[in-house]
Amino acid sequence: MTGIRSLYQRFCRTLLLPWALLSHYRRHPWQLAALAVMILVATMLWTGVSHLTSQARASLDQSEQAVAERQQVVRHDGQALRTDDFVSLRLAGVCVMPWLEVTPEAGNRLIGIDPLAARCFGDGAEAPGSWEQPLDGRPFVDIHAAATTDGIRESQLSLLVSDTTRAEALPPAYQLRRFSAGPDTGELGDSFLLNLEALGILVLLIAALLLRSVYLLGLTQRRNSFALLHRFGVSPDRVQRWLMLETFVLALICVVPGVWLGRWLAAGLGSGFGEALDNLFDIPLYAGQGQSWLTPALVMLAVVKVASLGDWLWLRFRQRLFVPAPVWAGVAAMLLLAGLVLAWLGPSLFWVFAAVALVFAGVGWLTPVAVARLAHWQAFRSEAPLVRWRYRELAVLVRRLTLPLVALQFALAMVLAVQALVTTFEDTFDHWLEQRLAAAYYIDVPAGSDSDEVANWLAGQQTETPGMEWHRVVRGHADFVDAGKADGQQVDVYALAPVSSLVRGWEFLEATARPWEHLAAGEGALINEQLARREEVGAGRTIQLDFGGQSLTLPVVGVYPDYGRPVGEVLLNADSLPDQFTPRSESYAITPGVPGIGPVVEAFHQIWGVQSLPMRDSDTVRELATGVFDQTFALTRAMTLLTLVLAASSLLMMGWVFFSARAWYFRLLEVWGMPKPQVAAQLVRLSLMLTGGIAVLALPLGIWLTWVLVHRINPLAFGWSLPMAVYPVFWLELGLLSLIIGLSIAVLMRRQLGRPGVAPVSANTLAGGER
Amino acid sequence: MIRYMGFILLSGLLAGCSGDAGDDGFAGLAGLERGGGANASAEVDYLQPGPETSLNFPEDFGPHPQHRIEWWYLTANLKTESGEPLGLQWTQFRQALQPRAKAESAPAAADWPLQAAWMAHAAVSWRGSHHFAEKLARGDIGHAGATAVPFQVWLDNWRLSGQPDSNLWRLQVSDDDLSYDLTLRIKGAPIGHGEQGFSAKSAGGEGSMYFSLVDIAITGEVTMNNETLAVSGKGWFDREWSSQLLKTGQKGWDWFALHLDSGDKLMAFRLRDDSGSFRSGTWIPAEGTPAPLTADKLNLKMLETREGVPVRWQLRVPAYQVNLELLAPPGNYTNPGLYPYWESAVDISGSHQGVGYMELTGYSD
Repeated sequence: MTGIRSLYQRFCRTLLLPWALLSHYRRHPWQLAALAVMILVATMLWTGVSHLTSQARASLDQSEQAVAERQQVVRHDGQALRTDDFVSLRLAGVCVMPWLEVTPEAGNRLIGIDPLAARCFGDGAEAPGSWEQPLDGRPFVDIHAAATTDGIRESQLSLLVSDTTRAEALPPAYQLRRFSAGPDTGELGDSFLLNLEALGILVLLIAALLLRSVYLLGLTQRRNSFALLHRFGVSPDRVQRWLMLETFVLALICVVPGVWLGRWLAAGLGSGFGEALDNLFDIPLYAGQGQSWLTPALVMLAVVKVASLGDWLWLRFRQRLFVPAPVWAGVAAMLLLAGLVLAWLGPSLFWVFAAVALVFAGVGWLTPVAVARLAHWQAFRSEAPLVRWRYRELAVLVRRLTLPLVALQFALAMVLAVQALVTTFEDTFDHWLEQRLAAAYYIDVPAGSDSDEVANWLAGQQTETPGMEWHRVVRGHADFVDAGKADGQQVDVYALAPVSSLVRGWEFLEATARPWEHLAAGEGALINEQLARREEVGAGRTIQLDFGGQSLTLPVVGVYPDYGRPVGEVLLNADSLPDQFTPRSESYAITPGVPGIGPVVEAFHQIWGVQSLPMRDSDTVRELATGVFDQTFALTRAMTLLTLVLAASSLLMMGWVFFSARAWYFRLLEVWGMPKPQVAAQLVRLSLMLTGGIAVLALPLGIWLTWVLVHRINPLAFGWSLPMAVYPVFWLELGLLSLIIGLSIAVLMRRQLGRPGVAPVSANTLAGGER
Repeated sequence: MIRYMGFILLSGLLAGCSGDAGDDGFAGLAGLERGGGANASAEVDYLQPGPETSLNFPEDFGPHPQHRIEWWYLTANLKTESGEPLGLQWTQFRQALQPRAKAESAPAAADWPLQAAWMAHAAVSWRGSHHFAEKLARGDIGHAGATAVPFQVWLDNWRLSGQPDSNLWRLQVSDDDLSYDLTLRIKGAPIGHGEQGFSAKSAGGEGSMYFSLVDIAITGEVTMNNETLAVSGKGWFDREWSSQLLKTGQKGWDWFALHLDSGDKLMAFRLRDDSGSFRSGTWIPAEGTPAPLTADKLNLKMLETREGVPVRWQLRVPAYQVNLELLAPPGNYTNPGLYPYWESAVDISGSHQGVGYMELTGYSD
């Protein structure tokens, strides 16, 4: 019997402790709900962002693998490829797959493929993408569906072969050519995703700060309970173990639906995001390629544990290492300074990201301390009692609301930086498109066709046709000769003739006087930013290019931005190209003027004797890209806005709770004879100072973050930078939001003050005993 | 017997039904099955052969576009110049996604129609190693197809072709590490299995049209991993077509085509299901009329398995004093295509000596 009783007593003791601990949430159910919602929403946001970016990155990789640097088969006689050609090649044993691009009168471009034919590429690296996905999406459809689409405006059949196919394996009527499904914008997409991922990490950080702030509030309120338990013989370590279990269970319960909601969010946003990627970068967002649910769940569990138990670990560390507060402030300032220097000079992406982390740590640490000190100093300076009261109260609030305030500061800075980045990015891409698509039409010269005859015809037409502009583009490679290196670096050659007005609107990062005139006279070369950065060559310097043994030395007359490509490029006058230069491709950029493209196409057909012309219409591409950008960045903005809403509502809740805790002190104003409306006005001023001040402090951090993203991360990752721009109207919008939060806290407090008075809350109850 | 493998392979590949994600078929083409082809003729239904259907030559060497599934199938027990045994298989399937009457013209190739899909397998077994290659194509484009006169079956650069007014055929296959170029001398007339060519596949009457050329002398060259071997030996050629899928509950099949040293030939198969099996076969004497074998005349027993696959069998046909033991050579002869299956030569001992081929499906689970 004794044994059973003892067992029962142990059982009761074991159960009573968690019951006593959990009784806090029975008394404060909204706090539990806030914690749960915060974990849930943070998990949802993090999972959503990371799922979308990982999915997009996988799609990007897959699409690059699918179409970039592929080979295709073309006819020697320049005739358009037909089904017969596919059959002839397959019967000859060549592993070739059809790629039919059709543009219907209404709707987007479709790409028809034959998955059965693609099987000969195998499942390994040679396979041109994963064609074993269901072909029910866009742009990939079964080739029969593409071929029989209603109202086909343009149709072009390409025949892709694997990278390992050699020219000798082809029947005599065919030759190999490079195949690219669109402009090479993969790196632009990479940059876009990189920044989205950085955003995801920041979301996680902000979520952790918010969680910690709410959890700490709970702990503060539970101190009396813990003390009581201690008096009943429960050791602090045991309480701590139960608290760890409590947070683990809470995290587990909230993280799982959070991950599910995050994937749901990603799926919901994925269609717009996917369409954007698809149209911008020719990258369909493949479904089902995202990470597993386990990774975000484990990450969020870790975040919750660190956020909630970090102080316990930290306190143990601090107990052993006593350091005065000014020293900590000094450490924080050093971190900030080190971060700023490192961000400026960091040699690699890793160091720049580390610098961002240091700056955020330093700012997060210093901001509350600095604001509190500033408030004390202001209070000390002022002689008006109310002003002194307000500043002293502000100092207390800032110290007690450190974490939600810092979270709001980070969220505001992030939103500001992302907005600036997105807008800059948008403008950049517009500029890039304007540069690259200045002409209305682009027509490739079929293999084996005489390009000069067409040039002569166009030159003749230009004098008679108002508004007609054109130039011939010859592309190839050359070796960039660096005196200090044995092997020259291969660069792309982009040669023009004549140097038409279609390109003269390009903007330069640096240039000598009259660069286009020098180029037209064959007395200079333009280089892209990538080459200029890599070879440390600027305007005015001389470069040497080697074309199969024949070299060409020219001064650099300008450096132009060239977004989205890692390759160095030299722009030359085509007339100055040496004989050894082998063109890789030739095309014509044409703005046909008043008569339209019809007569040009007709003349080209006649001169070249071909049935179809590979022709691209820049208006359609530009229109599509612009529309898609709006959609893409609407999504990015939505993600950052959600984070802002999370941070703002947390601050609102925390502010309200803390202001409520100090309601007794606010009532003292009434006791001292101040009318109620004036008390309310004081509260409004106090809360507006608090949240408005944070918005002001977020501004420099946001601008600095924008600078890091566009000037440091992009050049280090991709060799080109984005222009820096600031958007003050948006700052005002964010400031207004902060003020609305402050106002809301004041309004809630006004209602609180209207209720019957309560006993003053012990200072110790609220951690720190400040009054 | 490769018939039902064909049903599974290409049905799974292309002709998936609605609902189950697993039925979407390779690359999701199943969705195109209904109305996917150009010139679709909605009134045409699949034809299902029955006991009343007869064989017609040479037409039946060609395709049957109104039937759902068909195949051309050759197995060969060959020997190298040094006398080493070498097993060889070539198969080409046609899976209709949409039936088309024989009189109806094929849809335009420029529309890349998808009324039928083709698949070809080539395999060579030698010294315990097994080489396999697979090709796929859509029909009516031109790079895969079959004609009865002149007799040709091709997919890309793999081709089985007959010469007009001659009993000589040529089989050419070329892949990365496997190729062969063989001359087939056809001896004897086609043998119809079952009831005048209609071969039942279940007690319920499901079945297919099935005939074989069982006496084929083969010479030629086989190249594997850049090593070319001169080979000669005997082959067995099957033609089969139907429109019926496997009966519900049937799990797989075991099929044997045997060349006995007595000059007799024997084809036997069984379809396994939950309750047992459906057995059938044909006894083809060196002299005389072939005789269909019903289940009560045919006894098949597994004697030994290798990694779950039965590699040693006892096959008895008491009516003809046949009591054979069939043994696959050491090695793994799984064809690792879209849907793996076992295809190996067998050595025959017991009441008769000889060689043959064995195909086993449904053991991979």
